[in-house]
Amino acid sequence: MNLSRNFLILIIFTLIFSVSPNYEAHSDESNDVKNELKELRKMMEQMQKKIDKLEEKNRVLEHQAKQKEQPSKQETIMVEEEKDLTLIEEPAQESQSFFTKTLNFFNPQISVIGIFSAAYYSQNDPIVFAENDPENTGVNLQEVEVGFQGTVDSYFRFDLFLSFNTEGVELEEAYATTLLSLPLNSQFRIGRARAKFGRINQIHRDSQNFVTLPLPAAQFLGEHLNPTSIEANFLVPVPWYLELSASGGSPDVETPTFARDENANDIGRLLYIFHIANFFELSEALGVSLGGSFATGSNGTASGERSNLYGIDLFAKYRPLKNNPYQEVMFQSEFMYLDAQTPEETLKNWGWYAQLVYRFAKRWNSGFRFGIIDTNTPVQEEEDTEAGTSNLFTTIRNEEGEEEAMLGLLGRTYRISPMLTFNPSEFSRIRLQYDYLNQDFAKNQHAIFLQFQYAIGTHGAHPF
Amino acid sequence: MKKLISIKQFTITITFAFIAIFLTDQDALAQVKIVTSVPDFAAIARDIGGDKVEVISLAKGYQNPHFVNAKPIFITKLNQADLLIYNGLELEIGWLPILITGARNSDILAGNSIGHYNASASIKNKREIHTGPIDRSMGDIHPGGNPHYMLDPRNGIPVARGIAARLIQIDSENTAYYKENFKNFVSALKLKISEWDTQLAPFKGTNVVTYHKLWAYFLNWADFKEIGTVETKPGIPPTPSHVANLIRIIQRQNIKLIIAANYYPQKTPTIIAQQTGATFLLLPAMVEGRDGINTYIELFDTIVGEITSTLINKKGL
Repeated sequence: MNLSRNFLILIIFTLIFSVSPNYEAHSDESNDVKNELKELRKMMEQMQKKIDKLEEKNRVLEHQAKQKEQPSKQETIMVEEEKDLTLIEEPAQESQSFFTKTLNFFNPQISVIGIFSAAYYSQNDPIVFAENDPENTGVNLQEVEVGFQGTVDSYFRFDLFLSFNTEGVELEEAYATTLLSLPLNSQFRIGRARAKFGRINQIHRDSQNFVTLPLPAAQFLGEHLNPTSIEANFLVPVPWYLELSASGGSPDVETPTFARDENANDIGRLLYIFHIANFFELSEALGVSLGGSFATGSNGTASGERSNLYGIDLFAKYRPLKNNPYQEVMFQSEFMYLDAQTPEETLKNWGWYAQLVYRFAKRWNSGFRFGIIDTNTPVQEEEDTEAGTSNLFTTIRNEEGEEEAMLGLLGRTYRISPMLTFNPSEFSRIRLQYDYLNQDFAKNQHAIFLQFQYAIGTHGAHPF
Repeated sequence: MKKLISIKQFTITITFAFIAIFLTDQDALAQVKIVTSVPDFAAIARDIGGDKVEVISLAKGYQNPHFVNAKPIFITKLNQADLLIYNGLELEIGWLPILITGARNSDILAGNSIGHYNASASIKNKREIHTGPIDRSMGDIHPGGNPHYMLDPRNGIPVARGIAARLIQIDSENTAYYKENFKNFVSALKLKISEWDTQLAPFKGTNVVTYHKLWAYFLNWADFKEIGTVETKPGIPPTPSHVANLIRIIQRQNIKLIIAANYYPQKTPTIIAQQTGATFLLLPAMVEGRDGINTYIELFDTIVGEITSTLINKKGL
């Protein structure tokens, strides 16, 4: 503004000076010149007035702009109060770049977690129970899990987890969850999901406390029991937390205990799973959850042969909220009992594990686990099978080329696993574990693991 | 025959009992049920809602709000809620989303702006908003801004307004009551803020060391300067070399005060204080963070009172 004023004045002065020599030269035209000068003066005065006005306006505008930029403390408060209380205000604009904005809108939350283990086994052909346990002496890829999670609309959310391992890719989970209020406090999960059977089956590898899967889970559920099904969950309004779940669906994923029946058209031969979950808050520091599970379905040994699997799970977490902010003690235990019909006999197997984990510092925890599987009906190792199937534990399923089913047990197996974990941050982990395996029908096995875990992407939720 | 009848009767009774159990939660007193993530919001909601509301906070005031166990019992509470109030800016990201999903309650879903109140939406002066590229090597950072805005008492006003506006929408019969309570809350808080301002005025520009980047809003309001944090990066515990460096800085700059919320470890800051002669002040960072702090105003009475009395003592020496 100042510049333009100076410029104006400059022009006017040039005009005046360019006029004055003419005045001296032609005195006879003095009257005309005088008039012109008067006019010019008038013009100048008007211009000056205009300039002043503009300056004043500018000052006001500048002041207003300043006020907008830095509202004083008192003024913000006044503005807040004067607003109409009956209106819900729009969320404040976040100063985000265009890039982050486009990234955040509508796209699902993506997470990638990689789990690798350096392992040493005391024997050449190690006995491994779960698919994603370290397979051999050496460095093993246990699992790379890719997760996509997001809200579909105001009625559903959708969660998808792909599990990559040395065998290939598995669609571990892909299911929708209802979000809205439904009668009887119900919630439905539709799709392929880790079934609500016990506790460990609902926990992804990256949130588990040990390198290897507990024996009974690995034996009876496999790496995980994740049928494609429709699952109804009811939250019962009692003073504690009580959820009843029932699901029905297809055991389309290979599991040790359940398989598709030959007579697949029979609704009664699908896989049905029931679960009851309780949670008691005994004190603000101590919470205990207690659950019971039942799963029934065809086991594929012959048409109409069923497996019935029973489970009890107990989990207790002690975490004082005051003074020791990061210390916690967790106890987890599950018992499973399998009753499997086969054309030859009814197999009765059971398993149990218990683990205690103590988090003694923000980033450190240590734990101990004992797991056992045993049977009332030991099966005989079949001598006359072809080479390569000498490890056959079991009654063979009828499916073609499916010779390594694991329904039967040769005898008692137990495993002892101490563990020490360091979490550099919430997103990385280093874990050291020793496994001692004792089988009453085979040589003992020792194993040492050093596990590394890395997570990128969305900050995951921590289930209780 | 008799047996059959008794079985029938039994079945009917059981069925009715179940129906009754499922329906009992419908009757309820006409109170608005409010669930908050942390007690600061609960305290303000109580001030505004008075006896027309029933308020519970999921986290305790003496608990680190970043790390709360997602106890299933919280799902039961959220299931019943008419209004959910939470801090936002990812403070509760590790535990609240999973609870909201489990709650099966349309009223408190993110799509419902009345029953789902992310209080950070009302905060205009967010600090430490990251606009540039960020990654997790920078520690536990919150891209949307530092989430501890409730430690600036001036932010109590927009949040109270947000709560009042929602209560009026949910329970319009008591509009006048909520408006009155809101007005009273704001005038009481404003009076207090000017009192605290006077208390803090002599200490403007004081240099302090904190444990976690928790006090950004408070320090901005009090016009204090944060010279360093005991944590190396947000959420990353201190290393010996970092502590040694911090001790040197404190000694060189003659820093008198180290402050930390009472849910953080006390060992390292205590050692630093002993070695430097600074005072380590363990402060409640939320309502109910210490016995006797039951309102938002009482929280700042304590914080401001303790900081100023410590600084006065230090000056006296």
